Amino acid sequence: MTLAPELQEENPLLEGLGLARTPESCSLIIFGASGDLTQRKLFPALYSLAFRHLLPRNFGVVGVARTEESDEDFIERMKAAVQEYGRDSFRDEIWEPLAQGMRYISMDFGDESGWNRLSKTLADLDKNLGTAENRVYYFAVPPEAIATLVENIGKRRSKRGWDRLVVEKPFGWDLQSAQELNALLAKDFEESSIFRIDHYLGKETVQNMLALRFANGIFEPVWNRQFIDHVQITVAETIGIENRAGYYEKAGVIRDVFQNHLLQLVALTAMEPPIDFTSESVRNEKVKVLRSLHTPGPKHVVRGQYGAGWIEGEEVPAYRDESGCAPDSMTDTFIAAKLFVDNWRWADTPFYVRAGKRLARRETTIAIQFQRAPHPPFEAIAGEGLRPNMLVVHIQPDEGVALSIGAKVPGSGMTIRPVHMDFLYGGTFRTGIPEAYERLILDIMLGDQTLFTRADEVNEEWSLVDAIIAFWRRDKPVFPNYAAGTWGPLASNELIQRDGRSWQRF
Amino acid sequence: MTAADTTHVDEWHGDDISIAEVQERLCEMRTTDGQSDLRTSVMTHTAWVPKHWLEAARGTLAGLAEAHPSRTIALVPDPEAGRDAIDATVSVYRFDLPGETRRVFAEVVELHLCGARASSPASIVEPLLISDLPVFSRWRGRPAFGRQELEQLLRVVDRMIVDSSEWEDLPADYALLAECFDKAAISDIAFRRSLRWRAMLAELWPGIADVNKVAVTGPKADALLLAGWLRSRLDRKIALEHEEADEIRSVSVDGEGVSAPRGEAPDPSQQLSAELDQFGHDPIYEAAVRAAK
Repeated sequence: MTLAPELQEENPLLEGLGLARTPESCSLIIFGASGDLTQRKLFPALYSLAFRHLLPRNFGVVGVARTEESDEDFIERMKAAVQEYGRDSFRDEIWEPLAQGMRYISMDFGDESGWNRLSKTLADLDKNLGTAENRVYYFAVPPEAIATLVENIGKRRSKRGWDRLVVEKPFGWDLQSAQELNALLAKDFEESSIFRIDHYLGKETVQNMLALRFANGIFEPVWNRQFIDHVQITVAETIGIENRAGYYEKAGVIRDVFQNHLLQLVALTAMEPPIDFTSESVRNEKVKVLRSLHTPGPKHVVRGQYGAGWIEGEEVPAYRDESGCAPDSMTDTFIAAKLFVDNWRWADTPFYVRAGKRLARRETTIAIQFQRAPHPPFEAIAGEGLRPNMLVVHIQPDEGVALSIGAKVPGSGMTIRPVHMDFLYGGTFRTGIPEAYERLILDIMLGDQTLFTRADEVNEEWSLVDAIIAFWRRDKPVFPNYAAGTWGPLASNELIQRDGRSWQRF
Repeated sequence: MTAADTTHVDEWHGDDISIAEVQERLCEMRTTDGQSDLRTSVMTHTAWVPKHWLEAARGTLAGLAEAHPSRTIALVPDPEAGRDAIDATVSVYRFDLPGETRRVFAEVVELHLCGARASSPASIVEPLLISDLPVFSRWRGRPAFGRQELEQLLRVVDRMIVDSSEWEDLPADYALLAECFDKAAISDIAFRRSLRWRAMLAELWPGIADVNKVAVTGPKADALLLAGWLRSRLDRKIALEHEEADEIRSVSVDGEGVSAPRGEAPDPSQQLSAELDQFGHDPIYEAAVRAAK
């Protein structure tokens, strides 16, 4: 149940109803509406929001792309996408009101007449649907298209309502381009209107990291260098580049995952408690971590590229043999790094991070390994199984938290064995976990920036990435250096084994 | 998540048993297939279910376990049984988690309290509660106001859930219910059912601030609580005109019809499930009950 915002203030009947906030009436304009993101993520998310009555009362969606398509064809295509990718059962009575507000504009982004048609369509929606000149512009487009879009939207800013811009990753290609993009956006729009999406931040388990740390008295006192030996963050994918060679050849894993998802996970793990859960407080703490990250030297970063191998019993080609990739490509598909957060809480505590494509299994986890028990009072043989405690936050695919502890094996001896105490989201809160995009799109319409990346965070991330790329340019590794279906190059193991530690075994 | 994912794994029945036997059986059932399955629980859910409510309660509980993995203890009082004993049926249900190899279990313990054993339920329930988790209790039918069994359970539970539409003597019983508010947090499914209509009424603010009369076609309890809620929230006298129906069909204020809520009304399992997500006292409900008398 929801209630329009204008009815939410000073109304004694609202107290205790527990109604979710509903966004103000608005239009959502998706640039790049013919792309995969729109079909697989955005429309299924919009449908799920409609399913839960969380969309604004008056709501329009305008798809914009170069592809020629009629309104009817666009609606049919999105309907099929919702039926294929949606998490909720398809119901006409939910879809129809959404479809009534859907329009499609075929245009070249530099074409003035196309912009005029878009303006007219939006004005029609304002008049006929009551979308109140509030606009969310969603850039599901390659980065090079953004400048044209921002410039044109800036010239046509809403006079009565608000404008919000949503920028998908990658946000720039390096620090300079990110700064230029930030400057371009800042020319016509305030920071409070800019929503830089990192969809990992919309995942329940990523947000649960904050709940785990700051809603439980037992963790925060030991969440520091005194009690934690090291942290491991893994973002492993089994898929290859999925027909995205054009993008991936230029980006590599360092821009595709490391610069955004991985560094955001580091920030959430290492940040200080915010004074409240407002967007500025949370982002202030995250940016402090990013600023504290010590630039790793060449010995502390490993890069790799996959060769041919096997995934789930199926032979898969090497990266260089993927369609659209150069036969001598030097693009990185794997990265492992040892990072240090140079502050009071984390000094000398390594954060080992790794991300890659075509790895042995799909797994995103944050593993906190605690110090060993200082003096286990057991016989040597009994204590062999005694491993350090590890707290593992599973982000995907099995969302949840597990704590490994040593337990006595029943019997007359004193054999210790590690066991897991599990909290599994799907098993405990059996209500269905919302997709990240549902939460993020709703937050954009509500104007809540807590789960979005601020300009200074992006700049800090790129500073680190630029430093790594700078020393990568000085040498030429032998690629490919790991087989698809493995856990990356041997050098990745050496990176952590040099310190007497090992990667978490999945 | 659908009921199709649910499997009734195991069941045990015993007449004239001890609570220790029930505990042993529960432990055995957990390990029968020897696999490492999840024993996730979020609460202990107790239910006081007089015999004539048993079938309805079983239906609601079946829909509930999926959303709240828990231990459910259904207490079926049978003081006229002619013998003093506890008969028990212990069942374990398994929920397969889509895309995962592990499963989650829920336990249902149905205890028939025969003869004098029906008069002291707290001592039967306490050994079976899951430590350190909230205890909710659903009291089917009219609570035994002033009697030992109710007083005892109020001391054990964190939250007692009733459905005042199951009571005959309204609004008089609301006065007795209000006396229980300082003993445990109490909520009422009849009040939960009116939530969607209350949200529609809230949309009429500020025009509704001066309302003098509300007319409700629906169950008496729902109508009384809706009027009590309006009186307490708006702090004014509001007359109630009530016409009986099996669910709230229409509401009007000072003769003006209120738009019906969008979407389908939640089913009984969902209503109860929503109450189980609430912790602590609900001052809005308590004020509505006091104003409904």
